[in-house]
Amino acid sequence: MQSSSALAPIFIPHHDRCGGWAELPRQTGRGMRASTEIVELMGRVAVKDRAAFAELYRATSGKLFGTALRILRRRDIAEEVLQEAYVKIWERAGDFDAAKASPVTWMAAIVRNRALDEVRRKPLASVEELPESFEPVGDNPDPLGQREQRETLRQLLACLDKLEPQKRQMVLLAYYHGASREALSTRYAAPVPTIKTWLHRALAQLRLCLAS
Amino acid sequence: MSDTDEFDALAGEYVLGTLDAAERAAVAARREREPALDQAIIAWERRLGPLDAVSPEIEPPDGLFARIEARIAGAAPNAQAGSGGGEAQARAQIIDLTRRLRRWRGAAAIVAALAACLALVIIWQDLVRPQQPSNFVAVLQKDAASPAFLIEVDLASRQLTVRPVAAERQAGKSYELWLIHDKLGAPRSLGVIADQGFTVRPALAGYDPSVVESATYAVTLEPAGGSPTGAPTSAPLWTGKLVQATP
Repeated sequence: MQSSSALAPIFIPHHDRCGGWAELPRQTGRGMRASTEIVELMGRVAVKDRAAFAELYRATSGKLFGTALRILRRRDIAEEVLQEAYVKIWERAGDFDAAKASPVTWMAAIVRNRALDEVRRKPLASVEELPESFEPVGDNPDPLGQREQRETLRQLLACLDKLEPQKRQMVLLAYYHGASREALSTRYAAPVPTIKTWLHRALAQLRLCLAS
Repeated sequence: MSDTDEFDALAGEYVLGTLDAAERAAVAARREREPALDQAIIAWERRLGPLDAVSPEIEPPDGLFARIEARIAGAAPNAQAGSGGGEAQARAQIIDLTRRLRRWRGAAAIVAALAACLALVIIWQDLVRPQQPSNFVAVLQKDAASPAFLIEVDLASRQLTVRPVAAERQAGKSYELWLIHDKLGAPRSLGVIADQGFTVRPALAGYDPSVVESATYAVTLEPAGGSPTGAPTSAPLWTGKLVQATP
C-alpha cells in the first residue's frame, strides 16, 4: 500500500480495552492547566501583564514546542519558530476571543502556521539529522483537563476512524508532521492531483461526521 | 464539487498544512479581507485542534523564554518591565498559580477516571530511528491525553523495548508489563519495567508473531520486583496495542 519514507509516523486510534479490569487511572505529574485558567492568563497577557505571560509560557511551551518540532524536525528552526510565535502571542493576545476558539487552539494555530510557512518555503533537511524529535517531557501532558474537550477529541477520533485507513493516515501525517501533497504522493504512490482529491474527500467526510 | 465545497476544502487544507508555499501565502492574504474564509479556517482549527492534545510535550531549551522576553521588552516596554518589585510579584503569582494547579490536578484525576478509555497507538518509528526500523511501536496510556510508556517491538528478533514516558516512580513498587491475548488465556508477564531509561529484553521470544502483533499490552503496579504470583495483582493502569510501522 505504501512505501517506507521519511514520513513514516502514523497514528491510529483504537477504542477498545475499556472493559476488563476495573479502570483506576492514576493522574500524576504536571499537566497543562484547565482551559479556563489559560483564558484568564490570556486576558492578563492582553493588557501586557508580564507575569501572566511567563505563566502562560510555562503552561503551554512544552505542547507548542512539540507541535513545532514535529513539523520542522530541526530543533534550531523549531526554537526560532517558537520564539516568533510567542512574540506574536504577546502582541496579539488582545485579538484572542474565547467565544471563537480555545486558547490552546488559538496559540497552536499561530505556531502551526508559522512552522508550516517555514517548512513549505525551505524543504526539510534529511531525517537522519533528527533523532531527538521524540523526547516527551517526563511528566503527564494533559491539555484536555475539561470533560467537554475530551468529548471533542473522542468525536474527532471516532470520525477519523470512519475514514478509510489510507485517508486517515494522510490526514494525520499532514497534521502532525507537516507532510506536503508531494510527500504524500511519494508515500502513497499516487499523483499529486489524486492526493488532493483524496484529502478534499477526507476533509468533507470529517466535516460531515463532526457536524452530525 | 461545488464552489462552497472548494472554499471549505481550501480552508481545510490550509489548516491541515498541505498547501504549498504560494497557496499558503495566498490564503493568508485572502483571510485578511474575506471574513468568510477566516471563519472557515477558524472552524477547521477547532475541528482538528483536539489532535494536538494527544501529542507529546517537548520541553524547549531553558534560555528560550529569556530570548522571547528580550524581544518583547525591545518591542513594547511597559510598566512592569524593569520595575524592581515586578519579578518578586511575578514569582509570588507563579507560586499561587502552582498551588491552584495542584488542586485542579486532583479534579482532573477524577475526570480522567470517568472518561472512557481511549487507547491510542502511535508509530513514530522512522522519526525516532530512521536507520534501524523496529516494526512496531505503541504508546500505553489510560486515556487519550496521558501517554505513560513507550513500547517498541522488533518482530524479527522478538525484542521488546520499553521506556517510561510519564509514569511516576512508586516507592516499594514496580511497574510490570503484561501481554494479553485470547489465545493465551491469563495475562502473561513480560517482566518488570525499569524506573528510568530503556528496558530491553527478548521477552517475546516464546510467543507467536501474530499474538505479539495483535495482543493488548498492559501495565500494572505490583510489589517491588514484580507480582509474586505470576498473575497481575492489581488493575491495569495503562493499556495499548501495537501497530505495524512498515509493510
